[in-house]
Amino acid sequence: MSQFLLLLYNDTTRPRRLSPEEMQNTLERYMAWRNEPFTLDGQRLAEDVGRVIRSDNGTPRTSDGPYSETKEVLAGFYLIEAANYDEAVKLAITNPHAQHGTIEVRQIYGT
Amino acid sequence: MSNPAEAGVLLEHLFRRQAGRMVSHLTRLLGPANLDLAEETVQEAMLRALQTWPYQGVPERAEAWLFRVAHNAAIDALRRRRFSAPSAEDSPEDTIAALARAADTIPDRPDLEEHLRDEELRMIFMCCHPEIPRDAAVALSLKTVGGFGVNEIARAFLAEEAAIAQRLVRAKRQIRDRGLTLDMPAGRDLPARLDAVLEVIYLIFNEGYTAHEGDALIRHDLCGEALRLGRLIADSSLAAPRVHALVALMALQAARSPARIDSLGELVVLEEQDRSRWNQDLIALGFQQFERSIAGGAPSVYHAQAAIAATHARAASGADIDWHMILSLYDDLLAMNPSPVVALNRAVAVARVQGPAAGLAAIETLRTDPRLRGYYLLPALRGHLLLELDRPGEAAGCFRAALECRCSEPERRFLRRRLESA
Repeated sequence: MSQFLLLLYNDTTRPRRLSPEEMQNTLERYMAWRNEPFTLDGQRLAEDVGRVIRSDNGTPRTSDGPYSETKEVLAGFYLIEAANYDEAVKLAITNPHAQHGTIEVRQIYGT
Repeated sequence: MSNPAEAGVLLEHLFRRQAGRMVSHLTRLLGPANLDLAEETVQEAMLRALQTWPYQGVPERAEAWLFRVAHNAAIDALRRRRFSAPSAEDSPEDTIAALARAADTIPDRPDLEEHLRDEELRMIFMCCHPEIPRDAAVALSLKTVGGFGVNEIARAFLAEEAAIAQRLVRAKRQIRDRGLTLDMPAGRDLPARLDAVLEVIYLIFNEGYTAHEGDALIRHDLCGEALRLGRLIADSSLAAPRVHALVALMALQAARSPARIDSLGELVVLEEQDRSRWNQDLIALGFQQFERSIAGGAPSVYHAQAAIAATHARAASGADIDWHMILSLYDDLLAMNPSPVVALNRAVAVARVQGPAAGLAAIETLRTDPRLRGYYLLPALRGHLLLELDRPGEAAGCFRAALECRCSEPERRFLRRRLESA
């Protein structure tokens, strides 16, 4: 089995006004996915722009992250186990996030 | 969370029931004029759970987590807004301090359940204040205490979402303008407030019992919540015969829930239900409350409906139902509450006693009633009666019309089966 990192991006311009019942249903679908044995880990990221450090002719320069201007923000990640990219993508598509946001799938090297 | 089913139960409790309790609790701390703010902060806490828990899992003390986040969101909002509350005597600093104290202590209170129940009752009684138009009061109670979404309230009322939203705005304006408080009514104010409260509880029950849309036909949590609130009043000093009648009615109806869906998930009509699957505890509770309800006081719509439910519960089988008794009780009910939905249900009894043609005649005038527009039971019943009269062509048209209306998946499948048999 190989390991894959799923990077989940949220569209911050998308309004979210849900009833408790809708929240309930959404959360239950996420939890069902997270409780599957293929999910190894998951973390939500803080809602700020983050920081980016770039080398400026050998000197590290820090600036605000890439998200201050964009509407898509990296919201969190999962580490999952799958046989190959095809299966990893199939599993990622079953995550409720795939219905309203972007998911980037990357294989962990050497796994 | 080891077990997904367990997670479901926990979340059900948190998001459906907890929303109303948290709003009531925060409204007490923030003052009724800031009901909007209380709702927003609860919404915010739940949204954060929705953004966080999918990645990190449900925290061990999920309820405490939500309370803490909601309190902190309220504190942040007060600081941001340079808060000034027209009805609150406290300065924002005092309110912030009270919120901070509550955030630390609330989840660990040994009497937390009792405390939140009390907050909820106060909230219902405020929402049902005579200064607030009745329809707005009912909508507001469902939203703040029942944790209903605007779309769900619209379904419960057979109304448009925009109309419900408008009612909520009006209700909140009344609370602010009239400076309504969370103090319990007393003396002569009490009976009218109690009537409104009972209406709210029964609407919550009906929303759970009939659930017009979605896959789950019976939302046990709503029926349970309505029963809980009803029993809470029935067991308190506010009890009156009509309170017991309402609790009896809800218990006797809820008792049938396990038999309304068969093992394949299909809808079973009352007469064909396996009565051994009825919940005997609820039947017992229903009859006990029904006994108490007839001890004095004027008969109410709840008495008539409880008597109908009791007549059904007394029948040993579907063939033993005393339809003459039920028809006469529906006559009483219609006299007290001339609503088209009651008239529609009465038509079922008319058809049983006087035959399908009489039943059909009884619903003829309802067909043009705008309040029943889009209500699937009207064409469904017409189709059923036409089928009994051996008019399958017209019956099929009715079932097709019923399928155009909003209804739950089991109801839809039931209608399709009827359509196929037509």
